[in-house]
Amino acid sequence: MYKLILPTRYFLKRRITYLAVVAVALCVFIVVVVMTVMNGLVSEFKGKNHDFVGDCIVSTESLVGFAYYEDFLKQLEKQEFVQAATPVVKGFGLLTQPGTGRNIGVEIMGIEPAGFCEATKFAQTLYYHKENPSDAFTPTYNPTLAGCVVGIDMISRSRDRSGKYYHSSEPMRIELMVTCFPLTAKGALAKAATDLVNSKTIYYSDDSHTGLVKVDARMVYLPFELAGELFGMAGATPRASAIHIKFADGTSLKTGVGRVAKMWKVFAAARANQKYANLLKNVTVQSWPDYRRSSIAPMEKEQMMLILLFGMLGIITVFIIFVVFYMIISHKTKDIGTLKSVGVSRAVIVQLFLTFAALVGLVGAGIGAGAGCGFLVKINDMEDWLFERFGWQLWDRTVYAIGEIPNDIKWEVLAVIMATAVLAALAGAFLPSVRASGQRPVEVLQVNQL
Amino acid sequence: MKQLSLFLCFKYLCGKKILLLSIAAVAMSCALLITVASLFTGFIEAIETSADEHLGDIVIAAPATMTISKYDRLISSLEANGQIEAATAVLSGQGLLHLGKGTGDVRAVRIWGIEPASRERVTPFADLLVKHKGEIEPPAFTAAGDTEQLAGFVGIGVVARPDDVTDEYDFKQVTASIGHKVFLTTGTSELKARIIKFTIADVVFSGVYEFDKDFVYLPIDALAGKLYPSQGKVADMIQIRLSRRARPEAALAVVRGIWRNFAEKELDWPNYAISLAEISTSRQMQARLLAEYKKQMGMLMLIFGVVSAGVVLLIFCIFYLIVMTKQKDIAIVKSCGLDSGAVGLLFVVFGLVIGLIGSGLGVFIGYLFTRNVNYIERLISIVFGLKLWKSSTYMFTRIPNQVNWESVVWIGLAAVLAAAVGALIPAIAAAMVKPVKILRYE
Repeated sequence: MYKLILPTRYFLKRRITYLAVVAVALCVFIVVVVMTVMNGLVSEFKGKNHDFVGDCIVSTESLVGFAYYEDFLKQLEKQEFVQAATPVVKGFGLLTQPGTGRNIGVEIMGIEPAGFCEATKFAQTLYYHKENPSDAFTPTYNPTLAGCVVGIDMISRSRDRSGKYYHSSEPMRIELMVTCFPLTAKGALAKAATDLVNSKTIYYSDDSHTGLVKVDARMVYLPFELAGELFGMAGATPRASAIHIKFADGTSLKTGVGRVAKMWKVFAAARANQKYANLLKNVTVQSWPDYRRSSIAPMEKEQMMLILLFGMLGIITVFIIFVVFYMIISHKTKDIGTLKSVGVSRAVIVQLFLTFAALVGLVGAGIGAGAGCGFLVKINDMEDWLFERFGWQLWDRTVYAIGEIPNDIKWEVLAVIMATAVLAALAGAFLPSVRASGQRPVEVLQVNQL
Repeated sequence: MKQLSLFLCFKYLCGKKILLLSIAAVAMSCALLITVASLFTGFIEAIETSADEHLGDIVIAAPATMTISKYDRLISSLEANGQIEAATAVLSGQGLLHLGKGTGDVRAVRIWGIEPASRERVTPFADLLVKHKGEIEPPAFTAAGDTEQLAGFVGIGVVARPDDVTDEYDFKQVTASIGHKVFLTTGTSELKARIIKFTIADVVFSGVYEFDKDFVYLPIDALAGKLYPSQGKVADMIQIRLSRRARPEAALAVVRGIWRNFAEKELDWPNYAISLAEISTSRQMQARLLAEYKKQMGMLMLIFGVVSAGVVLLIFCIFYLIVMTKQKDIAIVKSCGLDSGAVGLLFVVFGLVIGLIGSGLGVFIGYLFTRNVNYIERLISIVFGLKLWKSSTYMFTRIPNQVNWESVVWIGLAAVLAAAVGALIPAIAAAMVKPVKILRYE
């Protein structure tokens, strides 16, 4: 019983202990707040990337694309683990808006809207065709015109302070001309003998807001067939740049990607002697995190750097606990001497002080975590208040593609932070505890030591 | 006797190894804050400097769809003013570049029509060229062995990609691309695409990803001839370098005056269009973004500053520990004649000394880390295969490694003050030690 009573008494009676508790609480508070916000930003960004490309992507980096995609699509559609698969054509184009002098180099994605919306969450990014994404390329003001969907940042729209874009009730009639270099299967210019480029007049039918800055600022979506014609990928042996796949529920990403990769290997080997087989060699099968690695990796690195920096600062907390325990133990020599003189072992003395340290860590971590959670729950209200009173925002929403400050508390992260705090307290108290247990009763209980 | 007491006190304090802990904590916090502040301010300064270097000090930008004809006269008027050193014209656009036969490589690019000779007087353009760098003659658009063919420069990111692991360009591949014939398609507000065939005469490598990744430079006359065949010499941007003694804000007013005079006399623009021309310093053009970066830096410094406040607690604990364990010694020196005020002051001074040594060490570590951050980053990428800094993410090829001495001063001072504050309560406790109570033998 004394193993619990003594640490509790030390904890309650020694005011210096509160300092250690404050240090632990402060550290836990800051780490909980910063890590929750950072984790939220990273997972939100990852989610947007996932929504944009689907689960698995069979693709080539070459702008020439690869042939026989239709045959592979048929094979994929027969698989029970594949919920949806859709071909995509990708390339670069020049977008011109008559009368405005606007002339922008853009990325073009040729998609089959119905299929693409099944494989990805493209439908949710649309504004006017959210409910009927199959008609995304049909301008409501004139359904007979060839429509296009553009990244939301490509058309000048103002945003409110929460980052929401203003839209009129109906899409405006905007005429655009898209120009592309059509390429042969060998990568040469398909129209080398004539005027080199393909041009087509298209009309704005909707905009897409994926929340990915580079995509929303430079992407134009066209009907798959039209994009194929513009890039020279249509014809007797049509080509595509990628196949986007969504797996059926219950299929893990790893299993699904592994199975598609196996299928692709067999498929490519079977066509090794056919025309354009060389294009199949450049095709890779990737999961969405691998496909979007170049976008996601920098954020993950920043998150890691932040953890590292906080880890360094956490060492200071260990130092504080070390000093506090050193101080407390140096004042408890009589207690230690008495305990040892009645037969308490060294290990139990260490255990006593480590229990005390664990109490400091637990209470500090609890206070810090509680304060952190409370702060996070109110963080958006506080930012709103600051904006209303002082015009201050943590992130200017007209500059950053961030909505609300992420404040979704992950309990597993919280548990890890609290456990680390308790461990830090134990680490800080370990040496003083061992030192205390080494004291000899015959020395500390001498009358001149009392 | 007083000197003896002081000597004893200092001896007690200097003999405590635990004080090294507080020095280490002060140094660590100080170094961390200095590094964060220096890297952030270095990054912000690099953005400002790169804008200055590539755009000049002041930019006159024509409104969309408008072009500035007879720009030579505007440049002459500008250069006649003592505050302006040089000015150069730019015709900008966007296009699509096909990198030659059989490559299948098409890029979306930004096009600048420039005059290399006048540009060289506004920006250090020749220093950025891979092949003709360091040549005495100003850069010119001439392709080796083919003087008839239209020649142009391209950004290094157009012809090569930085390596995924090292983030470095393959210069063999880059130089091999010089001399290649490429096709560029572009257009104006009319719905008609224009094709320009040119030879890559040189490659531009500025170390700023934004300017390296997708720029194509062509002779302004040739570009104007293709885009605006009926308008003669036209530009849509004038970039201005100020003389060294000129102040940008004052010069801005002068440039506005010269622009209005020129536009009213020489251009057939309506009055509202003349006012719509945007005249600003290159730093003003970045101001919104920089304000956000500064805000993020402030937040980061605040967070680390609060956590570093733990140092105050640590110093308090250490000094309190010393006072508690050395009560007898304090009582002895007090009984030798040192008064309470002097004992208290001694602890505060000692806190200051700890702060000074700790912050000195922190400044040294922070300086070393910041100055060598590129080597450290390289070492991490070699040892762990982890590339922390990529130009495609952080704009610049090299991490800005200038120490921000302004931050060093205030962080150092704050550290010294924090140490003194941490020592204050223990100092009071030491001053209140009563020798008669401590030294009695009962």
